[in-house]
Amino acid sequence: MASLALQRTPADTAAPVPRARNPLDWPRGLVVLLTCAAIFVPLALIFYQSFLSAPFFMPVKTLGLDAYRFLVDDPDFWVAFRNGLLLAAGLALIAVPLGGMLAFLMTRTDLPGRSWIAPLLLVPIFVSPMVMGFGYVVAMGPVGFYTTWAAQLLGPSPWNIYSFTSIVVIAGLTHVPHVYLYASAALKSLGSDVEEAARVSGASPLRVMFNVSLPMIMPALAYAGVLVFFLGFEVFGLVLVLGDPEGHLVLTTYLYKLTNKLGTPSYHLMAAVAVCLVMVTLPLVMLQRHLLKSSNKYVSIKGKGARQKPLALGRWKWLALALIGAWLMFAIVVPLSGIVLRSFVLYWGEGVRLADVLTLQHFRDIAEQPALMRGILNTVLIGVVGGALAVLCYAGIALAMHRKSDGIARLLDYSVLVPRAVPGLLAGLAFLWVFLFVPAWLEGALKGVDAAWSMWLVEHLIPALRSLRSTIFALWLAYSVVWMAYGMRMISTALLQVGPELEEAARAVGARRAQVTRDVTLPLIRYGLLGGWLMIFLIFEREYSTGVYLLSPGTEVIGALLVSLWAGGSTDLVAALSFINIVLVAIGLGVALRFGIKLHD
Amino acid sequence: MNVLTVNDLHLEYGQGAQANPILKGVSMHLERGEVVALLGPSGSGKTTLLRAVAGLESPRAGSIDIGAQRVFDGAGGLELPAEQRNLGLVFQSYALWPHKTVFDNVAYPLKLRKAAAAEIQRRVGDVLSQLGLGHLGKRFPHQLSGGQQQRVAIARALVYNPPVILLDEPLSNLDAKLREEARAFLRELIVELGLSALMVTHDQAEAMAISDRILLLNNGKIEQQGSPQSMYQTPDTLFTAEFMGSNNRLAGASVERRGDVADIALNGIRLRGTPRGDGSAGTALIRVEDVQISATERPNALVLPLTTCMYLGDRFECLFGHVGEGVRAYSRTRLDPGSYWLEMPSEKLWVF
Repeated sequence: MASLALQRTPADTAAPVPRARNPLDWPRGLVVLLTCAAIFVPLALIFYQSFLSAPFFMPVKTLGLDAYRFLVDDPDFWVAFRNGLLLAAGLALIAVPLGGMLAFLMTRTDLPGRSWIAPLLLVPIFVSPMVMGFGYVVAMGPVGFYTTWAAQLLGPSPWNIYSFTSIVVIAGLTHVPHVYLYASAALKSLGSDVEEAARVSGASPLRVMFNVSLPMIMPALAYAGVLVFFLGFEVFGLVLVLGDPEGHLVLTTYLYKLTNKLGTPSYHLMAAVAVCLVMVTLPLVMLQRHLLKSSNKYVSIKGKGARQKPLALGRWKWLALALIGAWLMFAIVVPLSGIVLRSFVLYWGEGVRLADVLTLQHFRDIAEQPALMRGILNTVLIGVVGGALAVLCYAGIALAMHRKSDGIARLLDYSVLVPRAVPGLLAGLAFLWVFLFVPAWLEGALKGVDAAWSMWLVEHLIPALRSLRSTIFALWLAYSVVWMAYGMRMISTALLQVGPELEEAARAVGARRAQVTRDVTLPLIRYGLLGGWLMIFLIFEREYSTGVYLLSPGTEVIGALLVSLWAGGSTDLVAALSFINIVLVAIGLGVALRFGIKLHD
Repeated sequence: MNVLTVNDLHLEYGQGAQANPILKGVSMHLERGEVVALLGPSGSGKTTLLRAVAGLESPRAGSIDIGAQRVFDGAGGLELPAEQRNLGLVFQSYALWPHKTVFDNVAYPLKLRKAAAAEIQRRVGDVLSQLGLGHLGKRFPHQLSGGQQQRVAIARALVYNPPVILLDEPLSNLDAKLREEARAFLRELIVELGLSALMVTHDQAEAMAISDRILLLNNGKIEQQGSPQSMYQTPDTLFTAEFMGSNNRLAGASVERRGDVADIALNGIRLRGTPRGDGSAGTALIRVEDVQISATERPNALVLPLTTCMYLGDRFECLFGHVGEGVRAYSRTRLDPGSYWLEMPSEKLWVF
């Protein structure tokens, strides 16, 4: 009873002081406040800017719909909008059936070579679309490696990689893995007992597939369909690279080109385009959330995990293998080999012999340019250190929602989805504005206050805030917010696996909330956090569009450098940098596969 | 002296229009050194009541006192968090922390109470050897058998001498054979240590074996409470009678209560029974073991043909008539086919 005496002071026993039912939770409040600020301030700024007649830093500006009027009158905007919808729809039409088929072949049949195909399927997800697009240009463009080789067999110009149809096909084929991931996860969680029940009742394997397996993963396919439609709508790098020669625009590239449209920074127009984009993507994200919830209904019907005998494909398996091989060739081997070759040759064209032009000159060029070297270092840093910090922040947010169903948890639940709807390009732009606008606004507000402390703040805080823009912190913040929904889902998946009674047991023996988190919850999800770190590393290495507008001396990263170097036409450097980017991603993927970290949920 | 008092507790899941009431005004107490079982079918609110006492659920109204300290008061807005209630709780799934060894699992409550390392070593060692786990301290939970895991969970709840120990279906995760052993072990431990315990169970045999008093919950309210004997032998309601034992309900019988006797008419046969409860159910019922089988004519009996006999090891359970409308009775020997007189002593034939 010694411990008992410790626990209870006499005052407690005599007259317990009435306490509030929910004592204020300061750490949680801080997390919620910072999260909401990081999500909504940039978004609010975009909305505000879109209703101004000039950039927000201009002295003369009025509130109004001028920017939208300009867009409505601009035929390019409508073309870009229509193209965006066409691209998204075409992409979904190609990716969903192929992804579903691929998933069925990989999880349910005796397809040869499944074990080495599986990791390859992930490659298109983790290679930057900018790099992929560039890979297609150097491999299959008018003077690409494969084009010149094919031309020797088929005659001149066997294909046109720059037509809009080609762009849709390439985008569709490179998005097949996204569908595959969701469909195969659904198929795996579908117990084999439901299929066996159908077999025993007399259904042939084909009927089982059409009557049981596919209907049961319909929610997952619907979710994946909406996801790839959404991804198609915010495609940027691929269209930027492949659509340029023939002038095909989608909304994101239209936004990017707007920078130079009027000669002056046309922030108000960009903001208006951004609002139009978000108006389409936000409902899609909410639809995804709804579909994900309804697809979870089927998870509870998961059967026993008995080993299932794979469906024998017979002689069809060579056809299936050939189809998958063709897809792997087109979606992975061709673009990546193109980049590798291009980064090691001086130039390329018809009649050039490969052995004559091999060189390491491009890498020496990179080594001589401090900005590029800084970019590589920054890319590694933002992946390793920034990734770790981002995972810590996501964990903090996830813990603020963990086992709580109050209004604040619901608010966070929806809020973290919002950045998902903001394409990286926009998010980078919005954060640029935040770092420009907030210090200016603060300065104006503080100068109005005639006090010593406000003067001190103007002199010390404002310059510090301004200088943040050209530090890698600005980039890290933008990256972390853009990928928040993704990172949060990984952390919450790990948290969901912690049984509630493990935490309740700690509370019952006397641990306070913070102690429960420190001693039980966090140790139990530590492998989930490590896996999350690796995933975020991969994603941050791949990211390119978020950094485009934040690119400044000090914040260079490979992804943003690629976009800017591509615009400047330095193909050699783009090839070499792309190669380095691929190597970084490959290292991350290798570590992930080595330690068996689940690369998807 | 009461170590635990619950007064008029109301609790619901959800809010407003979707509110789903789970506890509808439950009052109970637990005296020092007493073992009380919360018994009831699933959905009756017994686990919710236990969790509300532990501080893991938030009731809407009512009050909970642990000893002299009020830990929850709906009217006063007082709700002491679980960690400040100093109760011992044994989870149905045991909830052992998989990343801690057995020793660390049991030591954790003492660490939270800032006990010295030497004292932790001594007290954890004591409680582990008391529960027959002395040699398992360095193992991790997944290396233990189900029965051992359960003892670790009990050790963790006992190590800081809580005034009340709460047990949530402590035996339900063990297989049938182990369960009987664990039942005896638990009863011995409780008696030996003089624990005050509140135990949730859905198994009436378990409740009767371990507890001093049973609280039978039905749909968020206490249906009846009392000693195991009184609950079994003198149930006040049809629900209690049906829940506490194996019964024959005389389907289709019309009953009439006259003072302290009741007349039952079934298919033209008149039987005499004993009125119990308030008579609102209008149902006649007799325990399976109180029906006496006879090959010759008996008073107060039904005549039914034998359908089948099921061998239970120590006896036969015989079904007369058909399931649902027939009568079951125990017999020492296998019976020959034919019709039998099933005597129902009038004091054992209850009319609710």
